[in-house]
Amino acid sequence: MMTINGTQRLRVGMVGAGGIANAHLPAWLQLGAQVGVYSLHGAPDLVERHGRGHVAGRVVDSLDELLEAVDVVDVCTPTFAHPEIVLAAAAAGKHVLCEKPLALDADTAEAMVTACSDAGVQLYPGHVVRYFAEYAALQRAVATGAIGTPAVLRFERCGARPRAAWFADPERSGGIIMDQMIHDLDFARWLAGEVDSVHAQLTDSAPGTTAGVVSAHVVARHRGGALSSVTGTWARPGTRFRYGFHVAGTDGMLSYDSARDPSLHTDTGAADDGGERLLPDVSLVESPFLTEIREVAAAFAGGPAPRVSAADGVAAVRLAAAANASLAAGRPVRVAELEVAA
Amino acid sequence: MTPLRIGVMSLAHLHAMGYIALLSARPDVEVAVSDPDAGDRPAGESGGRSLADRLGVTYHDSYQQLLDWGPDGVVVCSENSRHRALTELAAAAGAHVLCEKPMATTVADGEAMVAACASADVHLMVAYPVRFSRPFRALRAKLPALGRVLAVAGTNNGQVPGGRAWFADAGLAGGGAVMDHTVHLADLLDHLFAGAEAESVHAVTNRMIRGDDVQVETGGLLSLRYPDGVIATIDCSWSVPEHYPTWGGLTLRLTGEHGIADMDAFGQAVHGFRASTRGPLRVDFGEGGDGAMLEEFLSAIRDGRRPQPDGESGLRSLRVVARAYESARTGAPA
Repeated sequence: MMTINGTQRLRVGMVGAGGIANAHLPAWLQLGAQVGVYSLHGAPDLVERHGRGHVAGRVVDSLDELLEAVDVVDVCTPTFAHPEIVLAAAAAGKHVLCEKPLALDADTAEAMVTACSDAGVQLYPGHVVRYFAEYAALQRAVATGAIGTPAVLRFERCGARPRAAWFADPERSGGIIMDQMIHDLDFARWLAGEVDSVHAQLTDSAPGTTAGVVSAHVVARHRGGALSSVTGTWARPGTRFRYGFHVAGTDGMLSYDSARDPSLHTDTGAADDGGERLLPDVSLVESPFLTEIREVAAAFAGGPAPRVSAADGVAAVRLAAAANASLAAGRPVRVAELEVAA
Repeated sequence: MTPLRIGVMSLAHLHAMGYIALLSARPDVEVAVSDPDAGDRPAGESGGRSLADRLGVTYHDSYQQLLDWGPDGVVVCSENSRHRALTELAAAAGAHVLCEKPMATTVADGEAMVAACASADVHLMVAYPVRFSRPFRALRAKLPALGRVLAVAGTNNGQVPGGRAWFADAGLAGGGAVMDHTVHLADLLDHLFAGAEAESVHAVTNRMIRGDDVQVETGGLLSLRYPDGVIATIDCSWSVPEHYPTWGGLTLRLTGEHGIADMDAFGQAVHGFRASTRGPLRVDFGEGGDGAMLEEFLSAIRDGRRPQPDGESGLRSLRVVARAYESARTGAPA
């Protein structure tokens, strides 16, 4: 296994150049990394866009070439391609940051964890919500007992529906629960512990297309007795990204709604720009992607483990998969029924 | 115009105070009260003639005396499980009935109330004030802009009720947070979806918050499915911390094909802080829905038309609660 020397520039190989790569690349650059990008589509545009006059990284033509040239790999491809790239990176002895979800099913995610562990490389899932300042503040407060034991939790997330076709195909994205709501399922589990059962419902105004509005509601019962409601929406183009939580505990409650954050409101009298808005505006805090990648890079360099582990990533996939199974069954599903032996 | 005579039956529910204040302020209404069971309440809970005197309202020692006064209508504000008996008594005396929510603790009681009022040819209306509130009326006005509604997320959270112990008595109240708070949102959905009933109701409950103080559920989440694939989630928990600056609140988010709307029925408030109490200061200025709801009851009596929400409507929202408890018991959607 290679070691990363803190005095030498970290060589990062990004795979994929789509939506999330645009959030990760600036973070790597800010940390002083040297970036190579391999992608079937869009790599030249990506490095141009973030380069400020020169290119932000080297575009390479094959995964093999990338793996040879870098110290760590950042997997930013569509979800269905995660397993193959993570396994290739592990085989090449490279640490991996993999965008969430790790995989479309828990068995595959487990296999990825095993492969990385066998190869002696670290693997971290990009559950970036754990790095968002408001969520991190909530978690710290709950951990110190600020509201007692969490009892009834609500999480909500709403953004414009992604237009890339693979998002609309449950076989390739896992649907809104696996792609978007996995953030909040992961967070609910972080705050209130393992989940016993989930019940999921979904509505889609134009199924099988990228045109409609889709909403899913998941209710989870945690083993410790707490109840969580997770709602997610992919809305019309131009819809502002909005997220929030309301956590009631035995000794108090904490809540946040990005739409009511008072830090800065502007009104230019103009109509909204109608942009895609796949990612929230994070200009009022340090980018949570930077926080995330700094913590992961430090772990790659031999530092402490990040706040979210590969096992957490597997558990999140298992939760989302259980919710999808509940959708199909039309009734609650016990998460344990889907569990593989630990 | 001859004033309408309105009798308030029982002061067990503290909403009676608000109704009496609103009714007493109207020149077209005469109000009288009877609260004969006040003596059965735990020590320290108000009621009876002394409370009526404090409210400045005529008092009768028995329900029969109140009904002998010849009220055009009554407002039933007893404990939930006693709604049926008082409604049947009033209907038999020919008085129209406005019944506090939930209309009963069992669907069978609710059905009996509807039948009693129908056979006596009196109105039965259920007290769901939120559908009369300005925020909800404004939301309804915005509905066309949202397109077809696909998903609903509603919350009706409050502190564990204080002041009246029966709220947390499963026998008298019919349950805890699910019974107390589900019906308001179920009524709003009943109104929005024109009486369409849920196709499935799934509920999970717990008793983590204030679990040492009460024996009924304080936490509850309901998942509902309505016709045409509409999904809804309701948080009915008594999860607002003790000593919070307000009792709680009610919110509703509608996700439509063309847009999303968020309503906060109790969000109209001025916020601040007070040095002497070292606590937040909250001054509500929303008018609520009680006044418009009472106007609906009174004008329906005058005009001889059926008020809404009527008994059937109250039954539909009560059935959601009954199915929620059934689901919580079996673990499967009901």
